[in-house]
Amino acid sequence: MSGFLKMLRSRKIAIAGLAFLGFIVLMALLAPLVAPINPLDMDPANRLLPPGKGHIFGTDNFGRDIWSRVVYGARTSLISSVGVVLFSVSIGIFVGLVAGYFKALNAPFMRLIDVMMAFPSLLLALVLMTIFGRGMVNVILAVGITYLTRTTRIVYGMTLKLKEEVYIEAFRSAGASDLRLLLKHIFPNLTSPVIVQATFTFAFSLLDMASLDFLGLGLPPEIPSWGNMLSEGSIYLARAPWMLLIPGLFIVLTVLSFNLVGDVLRDQVDPRFRHDIKGV
Amino acid sequence: MKLKRTILAIALILVTMTASAATFRYATIAEPPSLDQHVLTSDQATTIAQHVFEGLYTFNKSYDPIPMLVEKESISADGKTIALTLRQGVKFHNGKEMTSADVVASLNRWGVYGVRGPVLFEHIQKVEASSKYVVTLVFKNVFAPWKTLLAFINGGPVIYPEEIAKPAGKQPIPETQYIGTGPYRFVQRNPGRFILLEKFKDYVARTDAADGYGGKRVAQFDQIQFIPVNDVGTRVNGVKAGDYDYAEQISGDLYEMLSGDASVKTLLNEGVIMPLMFFDSSDGPFVGNYKLRVAVLTALNTTAALQAAVGPKNLWSANGSIMPKGTSWFNSAGLENYSPNNAARAKALAAEAGYKGEKIVFMVSSAYKMHNDIGLVFTKQLKDAGFNIDLQVYDWATLVSKRGDGKQWDMFFTHHGFVPDPILFSFMSEAYPGWWASPEKKALSQTFTSTLDQKKRLETWTQIQKLMYEQVPVLKVGDVYTYDIYSPKVQDLGETQLIWPKFWNVSFK
Amino acid sequence: MLKFVLRRIVGMIPSLFLVSVLVFGFVHLIPGDPIQILLGDLATPEQVAAVREEMGLDKPIWVQYGKWIAGVVTGDMGNSIFFGQSVLSVIGNRAETSILLALLTLLLILFIGIPVGYLSATRYGTKLDQSISGISMGFASIPTFWLGLTLMTFFAVKLKWLPSSGFPSIFQSGNWGNLRYLILPAITLSAPNSALIIRLTRASMLDVFKEDYVRTARAKGLREPVVNVFHVFRNSMNSLVSALGFTFAGLVSGTVVTETVFSLPGIGKLVVDSVLRRDYPVIQGIILCIALLYMAINLLVDIAYGWLDPRIRYS
Repeated sequence: MSGFLKMLRSRKIAIAGLAFLGFIVLMALLAPLVAPINPLDMDPANRLLPPGKGHIFGTDNFGRDIWSRVVYGARTSLISSVGVVLFSVSIGIFVGLVAGYFKALNAPFMRLIDVMMAFPSLLLALVLMTIFGRGMVNVILAVGITYLTRTTRIVYGMTLKLKEEVYIEAFRSAGASDLRLLLKHIFPNLTSPVIVQATFTFAFSLLDMASLDFLGLGLPPEIPSWGNMLSEGSIYLARAPWMLLIPGLFIVLTVLSFNLVGDVLRDQVDPRFRHDIKGV
Repeated sequence: MKLKRTILAIALILVTMTASAATFRYATIAEPPSLDQHVLTSDQATTIAQHVFEGLYTFNKSYDPIPMLVEKESISADGKTIALTLRQGVKFHNGKEMTSADVVASLNRWGVYGVRGPVLFEHIQKVEASSKYVVTLVFKNVFAPWKTLLAFINGGPVIYPEEIAKPAGKQPIPETQYIGTGPYRFVQRNPGRFILLEKFKDYVARTDAADGYGGKRVAQFDQIQFIPVNDVGTRVNGVKAGDYDYAEQISGDLYEMLSGDASVKTLLNEGVIMPLMFFDSSDGPFVGNYKLRVAVLTALNTTAALQAAVGPKNLWSANGSIMPKGTSWFNSAGLENYSPNNAARAKALAAEAGYKGEKIVFMVSSAYKMHNDIGLVFTKQLKDAGFNIDLQVYDWATLVSKRGDGKQWDMFFTHHGFVPDPILFSFMSEAYPGWWASPEKKALSQTFTSTLDQKKRLETWTQIQKLMYEQVPVLKVGDVYTYDIYSPKVQDLGETQLIWPKFWNVSFK
Repeated sequence: MLKFVLRRIVGMIPSLFLVSVLVFGFVHLIPGDPIQILLGDLATPEQVAAVREEMGLDKPIWVQYGKWIAGVVTGDMGNSIFFGQSVLSVIGNRAETSILLALLTLLLILFIGIPVGYLSATRYGTKLDQSISGISMGFASIPTFWLGLTLMTFFAVKLKWLPSSGFPSIFQSGNWGNLRYLILPAITLSAPNSALIIRLTRASMLDVFKEDYVRTARAKGLREPVVNVFHVFRNSMNSLVSALGFTFAGLVSGTVVTETVFSLPGIGKLVVDSVLRRDYPVIQGIILCIALLYMAINLLVDIAYGWLDPRIRYS
């Protein structure tokens, strides 16, 4: 009984998280309606205005409307961070599973990951930009590779452990194919650490892209994103804190909501969970 | 209670463990490269190196060249032979006395391999030691700005001992050979941590009163540490917390706040920074099309750009005169084309110039916030006036490498520090990217350097400036002033700081 | 076991070779010229080319690689173009800061992350769990430079308890008191990283809760804390060890924002600065060192896997 109530309560907060994510996505989609001021319009005479009339979130160092930039920035930031998560998680799971499960592939794959781990995303970003020019795909790749290696390491470690489990052995002796074992029995057990990793990848990649923007290796500077708003705001921390706090708040809330929803997702993927946890 | 007391005790110990009082700690904006002044033009390096090395001449408060290591000069009637008598008894940091042999070796190395050396040496036939203390410069033709070039220490001819200057080549000299005649001597470089200088006990100072960089120099500190502190917030906090005594280049938008803060003092730097936008004369839509360049200028509003990039009004001035106000070079020739802020007329002019929306590549570096910010404002203004601008933002190394190839860009952004004589401007050289080398420019610069008559030089400069607003090799956006902050316990820094902050004749209270 | 370790160490050689080729290729692929950066804005192409030639940078790339790798094998990584000092001494100087800072931060992470994660898991679904979850995610998404500058303003500028920035070498001065310079940076770094460890501890403990042997242990009537500590926590160490391993490696090599805010001479900033200056020998040297570090840590993590879970055998 009490377990049921607890679950409900967690759902309630998760609903709030889901609502916020929905709000952000809707805001990004309907940007021109929600933010009537052009996010690129500059007005240096009215720069660094604190939040108030006319500009509800104030203006930045160019006199641009911060609310408009937050709204339009949501587009770029969501797409690129989700891109990093999808890229790093999908490839990370695949490589980690395969490398952990098949003994022959253990060493070569993981040595390759070792090699990749040594390269900082800044260097990769520079190389990619040189080859392909500036753009969102590059940013996603450069930042994604860092997290790809992490996810792979985690999945690899879990797979190594899981495939020695008694019940996996049992299924194997019962004649289950490798593919079936991987997909039906090992993969579902990876979901919780992977979801945790994905939530963090989402959060950290928003900040990582800010530092790439800062070095001129991110997205073209005219395109507003929460990341470049944050890095521009850092310089004005003492003079105009709203330039940092407002995009910062949106990042924190989005990450938080993402996490809450991720938790629920995890519980649903694992239906046994509820019952087992009751007694705790 | 006991815990609280322990914490307080620990805190007290920590506070008293700070560096000894006679060490002056200067927070620099970035790590400087080599301190070899001959072959480098880094401002960070010059700020440090000027305490260690000295040149034959230097500048006074009004940026006129005055003798430093030289005692007196005598110029022949035709102006082509100049004999410099050196001060006697000047000691290098290795204990050796400076003589004409050292000067000849240093000047020759600078003239061949130095960055600015060839500007002077293309007019020089030979440099020779006439006696132990006399060096003679023999010119091929009259070259007016020779003294300024000898006095300008950034990329300039500082004097090294002969045994160092003679074998030195194109590469910067190693730090084991940082031996000069300055009031401080080089002790150690600890990359990422500091560059350490120490008072040179045998320094022989000039006897005339201190004036700008010139006159009597006295080292009041036992040691100076130059510490790289990249983040501006950290530099400010560091001075407030007492970890640094002086911090350079603080952001404009903090000026008002810091001016009212009792725990730090602000100090304006008189060395003006000039943001510049170059046009490509070698390839692309601007080649020979001066009208299109004027159309670009017509669309711009430099006041808006400077305001957005710098902030407080007293830190910038939308001044189109190439040389700043207060110098004798200041004039208003050609200024009708400076910042008209007229998008409609710009459109009309561009159409007249045959512009049909071709892509214009505009390169800006994100390494300097001012470049980035002004670049963004200009891009917006130009797009609004119908120009098809392709803004490309790069890190500094990429920009510098790309701008070497005219095919890769049409406009790029950079800045220039204050120079006492326009001959030192980068765009006066035909080798500098942009490659401004029209016949009109060639003729005027020829007149400009070959007369010793200052009045005629000023007139010629006015004509060059007028030409710069017709042919638009480069747009000078305006004058920007930087400022530094320092701890109230430092004294004798004066009302304003010179181009490169200097710390002889400065002490703790 | 010993055989396994030896084989892995031998296995590092081809990886390191691959890293050396890749990094060498990468640095020479990116545009920009270290000599132009060194000599400055006004140096003419001829002057730059002359110095390039003198330093051998104009030679074909495989000749340069051959010369470099031959040096590396004998322990000589060449000289930094920007500093003119040997690459090993430039890196060594920075490694002190980075390793000490990483150790200090790891200590904080362990002391915060694991107990709080444990608490969160054993109180699964309660208000406490919810708040821990919320607060830790909040910390994970706070921009590092903001946290760093705020701590600095409070503890260094207002209270003057700790120095604001910089880190004088301990090895050169022998003064262990200099560790105080690393306290604020370590706190700054531990905030987001503890959050990760809290979440991971919680997640992997919850996974172990549902395992058969935990149920069995509980059914046998073992007391709750005994089950939690001896059965659940120990078995959830597996993924934690891996996370801690590369958190440490990440802390040694990639804390550029914290190093910038606190003006620390660390590896992360040296990588970024060297890339921006195109200081080829330093970039190459650092990447090789970082690769070696990652490989060593991965090896240790794999050994720990086997130690924590005897079912995994390396043969």
